[in-house]
Amino acid sequence: MKERSNWLAKILPPPSDNIVSGADLDRGYKNFSRGLFGILIVLVLVPLAIISLLSHHQYKHLLQQRELDQLFLNLEQAQSTIEKFVAELESVIKFVARDDRYHELLEPKELQALFVRLQSEYPGFVDIEVVDSHGMQKSYFGPYQLEGHNYTDQTWYKEVMLRGVYISNVFSGFRHVPHFVIAVSRKHPQQNASWVLRVTIDGQTLQNYVDTISTTYADDIFLVDQSFTVQTRPQKYGKISEKCILFDMGDTIEKNFKKRTVERFMMVQKASDMIIVQKSFNGQQILQGVSELVNTPWKLVMVKEQYLYADAWFSFKIRLTTIFLSCAIVAIFVILEIGKAITNHLRESDKKREQFLVEAEQPNKLASIGRLAAGVAHEINNPLAIINQKTGLVQDFMEMSDDFAYKAAMREALDGIQNSVERCKKITHRLLGFARQTDVKNEEVDINVIVREVVDFLAKEASYNQIKIDFDLDPDISKIYSDRGQLLQIFLNVTNNAIDAIGSNGTITLSSRQIDPKTIQVSITDNGPGMSLEVQQHIFDPFFTTKETGKGTGLGLSITYGIVKKFGGKINVRSEVNKGTTFDITLPVANN
Amino acid sequence: MTNIKLLIIDDEVEFAATLCQRLQLRGIDATDMHSGGEGLAVLEKVAPEIVILDLKMPDMSGLDVLAEIKKYDPGIEVIMLTGHGSAGSGMEAMEKGAFDYIMKPVDLQELLEKINSAYEKRGKA
Repeated sequence: MKERSNWLAKILPPPSDNIVSGADLDRGYKNFSRGLFGILIVLVLVPLAIISLLSHHQYKHLLQQRELDQLFLNLEQAQSTIEKFVAELESVIKFVARDDRYHELLEPKELQALFVRLQSEYPGFVDIEVVDSHGMQKSYFGPYQLEGHNYTDQTWYKEVMLRGVYISNVFSGFRHVPHFVIAVSRKHPQQNASWVLRVTIDGQTLQNYVDTISTTYADDIFLVDQSFTVQTRPQKYGKISEKCILFDMGDTIEKNFKKRTVERFMMVQKASDMIIVQKSFNGQQILQGVSELVNTPWKLVMVKEQYLYADAWFSFKIRLTTIFLSCAIVAIFVILEIGKAITNHLRESDKKREQFLVEAEQPNKLASIGRLAAGVAHEINNPLAIINQKTGLVQDFMEMSDDFAYKAAMREALDGIQNSVERCKKITHRLLGFARQTDVKNEEVDINVIVREVVDFLAKEASYNQIKIDFDLDPDISKIYSDRGQLLQIFLNVTNNAIDAIGSNGTITLSSRQIDPKTIQVSITDNGPGMSLEVQQHIFDPFFTTKETGKGTGLGLSITYGIVKKFGGKINVRSEVNKGTTFDITLPVANN
Repeated sequence: MTNIKLLIIDDEVEFAATLCQRLQLRGIDATDMHSGGEGLAVLEKVAPEIVILDLKMPDMSGLDVLAEIKKYDPGIEVIMLTGHGSAGSGMEAMEKGAFDYIMKPVDLQELLEKINSAYEKRGKA
C-alpha cells in the first residue's frame, strides 16, 4: 500500500505539500492537474486503442478470408473448365486414331481428308502426322515441309510410347509460332507394334480459351508449365515463353507455401492441387492462386490485386478512425473538465482548511499569550508598586524639606519616574485586561449611540489632526444585546488606530447597517495609507504593531478580536495601500 | 483624617513599609504587617479602624483574612489591594464585606480618598 501510494504521489503530487509561496502552490496545483490528466488519458485511451486495433485486425482477417474464398472458387471453376477443354482435344485425337486406321492414314489423301474435317471443327489444328513403331514419320499433312523425320530419340516419342498420350508445353520450335502438341499411340492390330498420331495445335487456341474464362474478379489469369515458363499471354505478370516474374525470385511454390504457412497460415488454403498465397509484389499486396491442371503439363495462375483496398475495407477504416478520434476528443474534453473541477475543488478545500486553521489558531494564540501576559504583568506590577511608593515617599520628603541645591531638578526627575511608572501601569493593566476578557454584561444597546459616544471621546484628538469624521448610520438598525463597555472598547480601538494611521488630514467614516434580522455590521473606513497583505495577516496578532516604539502595545486589535469573537461576531479587514482601510465588525443581535 | 488607626497587611515588605511611612507622614496612625497570620495576630494590639489588605499572600488568601477580621470586628473597614486589578476578585471581596478595592500600583491620592470614605462610613455607623 505504501509503495503504491509512493508511485501515485510521484505522478500526482499533493499540491499543498512542501509549499513555501503562492507561486509554489500554483505550480503544485498545475502539476497535480497535469498528472491527473495523464493518468485519466492513459486509462481511457489505452483500452480504446486496444479495442480499435483488435477490431481492425479482426475485420481485416474477415475480409481476407472472404477474398480468399472467392479466389479459391474462381480458380476451381477455371481449372475444371480448362481441364475439360484439354480432355476434349485429347479424346478427339484418340477417336480419330482408331487402332485399325494406321494403313488408311498412311495414305496422304486420307490423312488430308481427316485433317480437313478436324480443322473445320477445330481451326487451331496446324498439322497432323503419323509415326511408326520405330519413331519414323510415315505420313504428314500441314503447311510445313516436315516429312521423313526420325523421332526415335525424342523425349515426347518415348513418353507417348510409354503412356499412350503426350501433351507438350507451348513452344515455337522450327514452326516459329507458339504451338503445342498432342500425341496418342495405338497398337497395330496385326504387327504387335505401336504407332503414333501426332497433332500440332496453334498456341492461340489455348490463349483464346483462357481468354474466354477471364473473370472480372481476377486481375490476371494465365498458364505456366512445370518450370513456371509462361504458356498463355498474361495481362501483367510476364511474357510468353519467359519465366513468370511472379516466381522469378527463385522461390518455388512449395518454398513459398511453406514460408507463408509459417508466417501467415490463415492466408493459405490448400486443396490437394491448389495453393493460394498472399505475397508482396512490387510493393503491392496480391493474392496469387496456382492450380495443377490434371493430365496436362500446365498450371493455372490467377492473380487478384489490391484485395485489401476494396470499398468495404476502406469505409471500415474511415469509420473506425472516425469513431476512435471522436471518442478520443470527447474523452480529452471530459477529462480536462473533470481534472479542472477536481483541482478547483481541492484548491477550494485547501483554502478553506487554511482559513479554518488560521481562525482556529487565533484564539489559541490569544489564550496562551494571554496567560503569559497575565503572568508578566502580575510579576511586574509588584515591583512597579514599590517603585511608585518609594518615589512618592522621596517626593513627600522633598516637599517637607527646605530649599536645597538641585531641588527643582530633583523634582523634575522624580516626576519623570512617576510618569514612567504611570505608563508601565497602563501597559500592565492593558495586559491584564487582555488576559481577562471574561465578564460580559448583557444589556440592550443601540449601536448607533455607542458609535457616536466613541467619536465624542476622540473628537478632540481628531480635530487637532484635521481629521474629519463622517457618519453613515442606519437609523432603523436593530438594538443588540451585548456589553456596552466592551463594545466601546472595540470601536475605540479601531477608530483610534484609524486616527493614528491617517496622521493628519483625512476622513474617517463610521457606518452601520442591518445585514439580516439577526446580524448587524459596523464599518470603520479611513483614507489613510492602507496596509500591505503582509501587515494585514498579522494585525490581530498580540504585540504586533506598526507604530513607533513606545506608542503602541500591539494589543489593541488582538483585544478587539478577542472581544468580537467572544460576542459571536466577526471582524474583517479590507485594505489597499495608498487608498485606505476598512474594518467590518459584524455582531449578532442576540448575544449568546 | 488624622489619628486614624490603620493596619496594612501585604507580603510585599518594601511596598507595605513605604506605603505605611507615607501614610504616617500624612498624620495617619499606620502599622504594617507582612502576612495574613501576623496581621490577624496584632489586631487586638493595634485595634485598627481601617485595614488595607492584599488579596494575594502566600500563607493565607486576602479573602480568608478578610473573613477573620470581620469575624473579630465587623466594624473594621477593609480596603482590598488587588495585584492583577481584576474587577472580579475585587467585587467578590466587596460582596464578602470589604469596603472597596484599589489596584496596584496604588495612586496615593485615590487611596486617601477611599480611606476617608471608609472612615466617614465608620463614623456614621
